[in-house]
Amino acid sequence: MYGNTSLTAEEAKIVNSTVEDPEKLAEFEARITRGEKIEPGDWMPDQYRKQLIRMIEQHAHSEIVGALPEGTWITRAPNFRRKLALIAKVQDEVGHGQLLYSAAETLGKTREQMLMDLLSGKSKYSNVFNYPANTWADIAVIGFLVDGAAIVNQVINSKGSYGPYCRALERICYEESFHLKQGHDNFVYLATGTKVQRDMLQEALNRWYRPLLHFFGPSDRDSQHSEKLMKWKVKLASNDDMRNQFLDQYVPKILELGLTLPDPELRRGDDGIWVFGDPDWDEFKRVISGDGPCNAERLEVRRYSELAHRWVREALMNPKEKYVTPLA
Amino acid sequence: MSLDPRINRLDLKRVNDGEITASHLVTWEVFHQEKRGKQPVHAGIVHAATPEQALMFAKEQYARRGKTANLWVVKTSDVYTFNSEDEEIFETTPEKTFRDPAFYKVRERIEAFQAKNKL
Amino acid sequence: MNTEAIKDLLYRMADDALIIGHRNSEWTGIGPMLEEDLAFSSMSQDKIGHAQALYNILYTSFGEKNPDVLAFQRAEKDFRSCQLVELPIGEYDFSLVRHFLFDHAEALRYSLLEASSFAPIAGLARKVRGEIRYHVMHADTFFKQLSTGSEVAKARMQSALNYALPFALGIFEPSAYEEALIAEGIFAGEARLQELWLQKITPLVAAAGLQMPAMDTAKAVYGGRKGYHSEYLQPLLAEMTEVTSIDPSAEW
Repeated sequence: MYGNTSLTAEEAKIVNSTVEDPEKLAEFEARITRGEKIEPGDWMPDQYRKQLIRMIEQHAHSEIVGALPEGTWITRAPNFRRKLALIAKVQDEVGHGQLLYSAAETLGKTREQMLMDLLSGKSKYSNVFNYPANTWADIAVIGFLVDGAAIVNQVINSKGSYGPYCRALERICYEESFHLKQGHDNFVYLATGTKVQRDMLQEALNRWYRPLLHFFGPSDRDSQHSEKLMKWKVKLASNDDMRNQFLDQYVPKILELGLTLPDPELRRGDDGIWVFGDPDWDEFKRVISGDGPCNAERLEVRRYSELAHRWVREALMNPKEKYVTPLA
Repeated sequence: MSLDPRINRLDLKRVNDGEITASHLVTWEVFHQEKRGKQPVHAGIVHAATPEQALMFAKEQYARRGKTANLWVVKTSDVYTFNSEDEEIFETTPEKTFRDPAFYKVRERIEAFQAKNKL
Repeated sequence: MNTEAIKDLLYRMADDALIIGHRNSEWTGIGPMLEEDLAFSSMSQDKIGHAQALYNILYTSFGEKNPDVLAFQRAEKDFRSCQLVELPIGEYDFSLVRHFLFDHAEALRYSLLEASSFAPIAGLARKVRGEIRYHVMHADTFFKQLSTGSEVAKARMQSALNYALPFALGIFEPSAYEEALIAEGIFAGEARLQELWLQKITPLVAAAGLQMPAMDTAKAVYGGRKGYHSEYLQPLLAEMTEVTSIDPSAEW
């Protein structure tokens, strides 16, 4: 599961102004224009490498931190079917993290360095995972809608230019379709169940509506662009386009169950563009800068997982073995 | 208090002061063979300490769905590749049509021969 | 066939598999390294799947309630699991040692049951053989690597082993039906299983450079098989059934 990459004005300036060897750059860009993929050993602009590492790393962090809100209900899933599905689903998120860290490693940053940057706050993860899963119905909403949003993003990103990232995303998208199906199944059971179940689901939906609108990042009007990142196929679609695609696909699936969304302004315009009320972008900024309901706990748990198991990794280490950058 | 009972059972404070180290295990390139008779195909990597452990890990990361006949693991540092600048050495291959079965077309010649000799 | 004897055996096995699977699933997402997190999670899913299959035999062959009811709506005193599986996951050393001790016993139990005169259990034993073989390989690989990896790890593994062993002996708590099970060719019995288990693990413990706790002083923790559990099972079950109990009439 994933959010999206957004640049600050300063970062966009750096990306857009860095000068590279013109001949190599031309060759590199021609390759991308021809629709070919870039592979790890290729020459690549410094900013291409940096922005890719940043994006894939954030994506990887989002997977392993994303395992935590859903993990909240692992020991409480209500029957065999849901219990097995939820464990397998959370396991997949960890697996996706593994695949994505591997893709980022091919660009020259080690997994441990990435994890250290996550824990120090230097590197971010998707904001949506800083919200709590209060009830079992939150699991249905996450499994159906947060994963649904992530799929919109990941399918688009899988058309990008970096070979190892695309390969990882192909596998991830395949597994996400299981997540979406099991999430939808859970969602439909609650929506078509008893009053208690429906009420739980409606309340969870109300809680997740804003974080879901935030998921794709600020509106294009308020975010920084980099023509270069678009040209290099690092970023492939605008935040607003992805958000619109998500609303188009999922709002009808919510409404068909007689559920509501807590936004009187929400409607699909004649031009196919969804209109929605202000989802409180200030809250988005507060949560991203560390002040969300679960930021502290998420990092504390990840830190625990690293530190409590240091003895395991140290016992496994062989000082004679030298780490080299993985190939693919 | 966490909403997650599992987290409440962990002694989070116990370890929270320690340092994270940048130590890392080596990586292994994993090859996946879907069924007997098929070529093993590169599937990804795992971090592991030994070949046995790499296989244990590869099994759950690369063979937990679908069919598998076998897995291979090779330490990344034992794999050699061409530099990507040398990719042009492969461009000579498509020109060498004499290696291509489609290059050999004798049907027309046979038909001409048959027509001429009323076969 | 002695129906009560078979049912008792099935409940023991099913409850063990459910509870250890449940416990081990707690590591999903917070395990020691990503690859191990995945492997441990898969094994917990396998165990829960085995529990479901065993409850299903009780349901289809003996008219007991369906697997979801048996797992999610039974009272603590009706559980026949050994106390080893109920213990909290603790730290990874304990979880791994428990995995090593329990899975060897389980692998041997299923391999004896492949020859069982009770066809459904013999069939299941053959079906799960591959999964359990992986569990044991995983346990052996990790057990040895950690025990020989560093002094810190070795000390941790030894102390986890000392703590877990009396509980592990509780796996083999005899039932009231041992003679019937043996006489009817259903199962070779807990005493025989314990003997095979000790033969199997003793050299592995030695090869890992650890000391096997003295068997004459290690007192087996019994009770679980008769419904007497540790302080940990009741809270585990309350947690496991928290959602179902919000509305027991609902389909979840």
